[in-house]
Amino acid sequence: MASIIKVIGNVRRIISHNNGIIGSFLKMFRHDDLKWGTLVGEDKYGNKYYENNYYFFGKNRWVSYPQSSGFDFDASEIPPEWHRWMHYMTDDPPTKVPLPQRKWMADHTMNLTGTSREYVPYSTTRPKIQSWVPPKSSD
Amino acid sequence: MLRLWPLRQVAKVQNVLGGLTQIATKSTQPAPAPELVEVFIDDKQVFVEPGTTVLQACAVAGVEIPRFCYHDRLSIAGNCRMCLVEVERSPKPVASCAMPVMKGMKVKTDSPMTRKAREGVMEFLLMNHPLDCPICDQGGECDLQDQSMAFGSDRSRFTDNAFTGKRAVEDKNIGPLIKTIMTRCIQCTRCIRFASEIAGVDDLGTSGRGTDMQVGTYVEKMFKSELSGNVIDLCPVGALTSKPYAFTARPWEIRKVESIDVMDAVGSNIVVGMRTNEVMRVLPRVNEDINEEWISDKTRFAYDGLKRQRLTTPFINVDGQLVPTDWETAFVKVAEKVKKVDPKLIAGVAGSTADAEAMVCLKDMINRLGGELLCTEDSFPLNRSGIDFRSNYIFNTTIGGIEQADVVLLIGTNPRLEAPLINARIRKTWIHSEVCVGVLGAPVDLSYEYQYLGDSFIVLKDLAAGTHPMCKALASANKPMIILGTDCLQGTENGVIYNAVKDIAERLRKNLKHKDWKIFNLLQKNASQVGALDLGYQPGVSGLKALQAELIFLLGADAGTVSKDKINPSSSVIYIGHHGDYGAQIADVVLPAAAYTEKDAIYVNTEGRVQLARQAVNPPGMARHDWKIIRALSEILGVALPYDKLADVRARLGEISPTFDQPGQVNESGFEAQAYQLQTEIKDPIVNVNTAISPTMLKLKDFYMTDPISRASLTMAKCIQACKESEKNPYSKQEAKA
Amino acid sequence: MLSSVRKQLLSSAVKRYFHASVLACSDKSFVHRDTPENNSNVPFDFTPENKKRCELIISNYPKGHEAAACIPLLDLAQRQNDNWLPISAMHKVAEILKMPRMRVYEVATFYTMFNREPVGKYFVQICTTTPCILNGVGSDAILEAIKQNLGIDVGHTTKDKMFTLAEVECLGACVNAPMVQINDDYYEDLTVDDINRILNDLKAGKKPKPGPQSGQNGRFASEPKNGLTSLTEPPRGPGFGVRPDL
Repeated sequence: MASIIKVIGNVRRIISHNNGIIGSFLKMFRHDDLKWGTLVGEDKYGNKYYENNYYFFGKNRWVSYPQSSGFDFDASEIPPEWHRWMHYMTDDPPTKVPLPQRKWMADHTMNLTGTSREYVPYSTTRPKIQSWVPPKSSD
Repeated sequence: MLRLWPLRQVAKVQNVLGGLTQIATKSTQPAPAPELVEVFIDDKQVFVEPGTTVLQACAVAGVEIPRFCYHDRLSIAGNCRMCLVEVERSPKPVASCAMPVMKGMKVKTDSPMTRKAREGVMEFLLMNHPLDCPICDQGGECDLQDQSMAFGSDRSRFTDNAFTGKRAVEDKNIGPLIKTIMTRCIQCTRCIRFASEIAGVDDLGTSGRGTDMQVGTYVEKMFKSELSGNVIDLCPVGALTSKPYAFTARPWEIRKVESIDVMDAVGSNIVVGMRTNEVMRVLPRVNEDINEEWISDKTRFAYDGLKRQRLTTPFINVDGQLVPTDWETAFVKVAEKVKKVDPKLIAGVAGSTADAEAMVCLKDMINRLGGELLCTEDSFPLNRSGIDFRSNYIFNTTIGGIEQADVVLLIGTNPRLEAPLINARIRKTWIHSEVCVGVLGAPVDLSYEYQYLGDSFIVLKDLAAGTHPMCKALASANKPMIILGTDCLQGTENGVIYNAVKDIAERLRKNLKHKDWKIFNLLQKNASQVGALDLGYQPGVSGLKALQAELIFLLGADAGTVSKDKINPSSSVIYIGHHGDYGAQIADVVLPAAAYTEKDAIYVNTEGRVQLARQAVNPPGMARHDWKIIRALSEILGVALPYDKLADVRARLGEISPTFDQPGQVNESGFEAQAYQLQTEIKDPIVNVNTAISPTMLKLKDFYMTDPISRASLTMAKCIQACKESEKNPYSKQEAKA
Repeated sequence: MLSSVRKQLLSSAVKRYFHASVLACSDKSFVHRDTPENNSNVPFDFTPENKKRCELIISNYPKGHEAAACIPLLDLAQRQNDNWLPISAMHKVAEILKMPRMRVYEVATFYTMFNREPVGKYFVQICTTTPCILNGVGSDAILEAIKQNLGIDVGHTTKDKMFTLAEVECLGACVNAPMVQINDDYYEDLTVDDINRILNDLKAGKKPKPGPQSGQNGRFASEPKNGLTSLTEPPRGPGFGVRPDL
């Protein structure tokens, strides 16, 4: 009986945490997962980071991508300072212990492979066949 | 070897003394069959003809003797000593390439003495040979490498050159085709013998003596021969290698595809070396009936033209400018043009490198549309029995048959440049027999001596009438040959010239002792010509003007015979071909097709021999096989051709002419008498032809660029450049011939 | 310590010279290079009397084998042209004999007595083969004397184009060694004084007597030092020792 009450309490918490029933439905639709937790921080790209140690290690930290990423979000959207927290390299999130800022640090970009903006190196080999270019007509 | 220069004068004297008639009678008597000589090769008994060398007897017994200087088709030098074998009761090892067999000779090819001799010779050869195999282009196909692995020792006793260094020889510059690294030379003199015996150009030789001996030209000049590339194959080491091929590929990376050459009408058998969908080189393939084991320089080196100026996408003409497009648009454009014109005014022209499959597809498609006119670029007189008889337009004697001829009359042709391998065959015949060659045409250098008869039509008329002094030689000949070039048949008076030549041939034929001997030969210049005529194409483009054709399909026709000013100016041109050359420039729609290395195709050579070329690489870009293009186009035009596979097209070829079903063979053509009768029935009076009967290719520089592929080739351009430069070189001047 | 000494010695013995090439056996180049005095435009033709001689030489050989006259004709050309053979002379010989030019080049480069570069008026060839080194004063001394006298090294020509010095292999006069050949004359049994005298005479325009010099007391030919050991009697007349009935 107690466990049922616990489950109901959990469901209530989750629903309230995820902005009601419709919000929970949308969250489920987008992330295939529903959890409740404390907001640890948010980075400048709009990613929200949560933690709830109620869940098992490995599932207790998660990220919620911004709506602007749509359904096409990618794990590489997480900037390096949060990456280390997400991957349990440290228990201190950058909100608590910010990373030292160096002047050579570039802004974080996600991995664009597979998108239209992916990097394709140009070929340095000469083409094997040289095509004919029709002469420009004089008139 | 009698006609080689030291003994040439002797031959002349004998000619004067004996006269042609005497020689002719001599050769008719069958020589008594020689008694075979019994020899033992490694205790295996073999019977060989007397005069055979020990090396050849070993080959009969199935034992291959290592050799460097010996070559089947060259004279025997005996200077490399690699072929030493032990002969019983001979105190020393014997050079087997130069030793004739004797009765009961016992040869030991694998005895300790033989092996030691080989090892010793190899040690001497390697003493001064640089060990630069890793940077040598011959690496992997080097006789010295192979034989030192098989017969050499693993070390040398010549250690003093570790201190002094090996012999070094300065490299020679002998033209843009052959790269020389003379330090690698082992002085086998194969190149020298090839130059003087096969090519007939005594440019190479040895200078100096002993350790200082070197192979070269002594003075700086180009090795000016149309067959020069063959010394690369002959060189057993890496001293002579191909300049265009230098450092591009290794033989073990190359996939070899057996194919046919289309640069001339000889149809030389070639091996196309392919790597990563790229033609790396072209080598000859042995075919005793055609090219033996040589190929011309154009065949060997024009392959870089396959990579330049290629049509890789269809083009359509938009406001006078060709713009790239896709196949669909191009096909629709063609269909629009076909819809607009009267089907009777659709014509097709096959170019010099068109294959038989494409030609039959084009013919069938145009016929189905309603057009009748299909023609080739090369003209040929039609007002006689014309192309109705195959014997009228092929090389009836066959190339191998040249060797039996005793009088050869060349009319209006320069075989040295039009068909270098046929010329090499005539030269071979000239060296080994008493053949008498007469030339009516330009006094060009043919690499052998000939009787020059002039270049006027009057001489031909005299010959036809039997009043010319040469007629006596012709009449007394057992196996006379007349080779007529196609250059003199391009004018309007071609029928008269052709008729006169046929008259000579017919008179000789009537009195011929060997009834199956063919006299008349036409030496074609284009690889497609015989195939086209077999398929029923009309020779010459004069019909286009007469028909006022509105829509012309060009199948690789790039010789410039079809141009805007020669055809109806309002007509449309559709070009199907592989190079952006003359044809593509005047076209309204350009459809990119495959070159000869890129398709399985049938070519018919000047002898009428059907040969299969095989696909080595894929057509570049959007280019497709010619016959597939036409097949696809026919469907869009609503006259779908009834064949979907290459085999179906070939079956169709076989329906038209059964010769297409017998690749590699020459079908003997007959009906010479009938062909002649038809000719005399519609005889027109022999009028005078005022122009000189002369071939168009006179000098070596004319040889290199004759078709779209060779015109696109940089190597061929360099050859022409080198030829022009060598004209300024005082050492390259034409020497007075003996 | 000993081993390190040995190592030192050995390493100096097996020192390798990476850029060394074999010393050429001949100081001549076997590839023609155009020079101002030797190129294809240098005119050469046989003099009228030499032309007759050419015909005579060629007629020695059977018809059809005229090429056999290549060496004598090249020699004739060399004699006519100040003891050397320009490339145009080779071309002329090729033309006369109807040979390919390359075949003439082959002959001219093979035989060392054809000079393909200009030489002095007197072409001094000193034999330095073993018998000449050993016999008499030795060819080394003679060679040194020539070098001193002419002020040139082997292979060089004096500035006045009078002498060219060449070192050659055996000239077949071993019994009269040491010897030099100056143009067509042999000077044998040489001493240092002899060779200086000969060269000074030539410089002065005189022609010294060829043959054995003072080295072996001015002997007549190549007879033994201590008088004849055979053939001492006067020669017998014809018919000596022949059977009377013949």
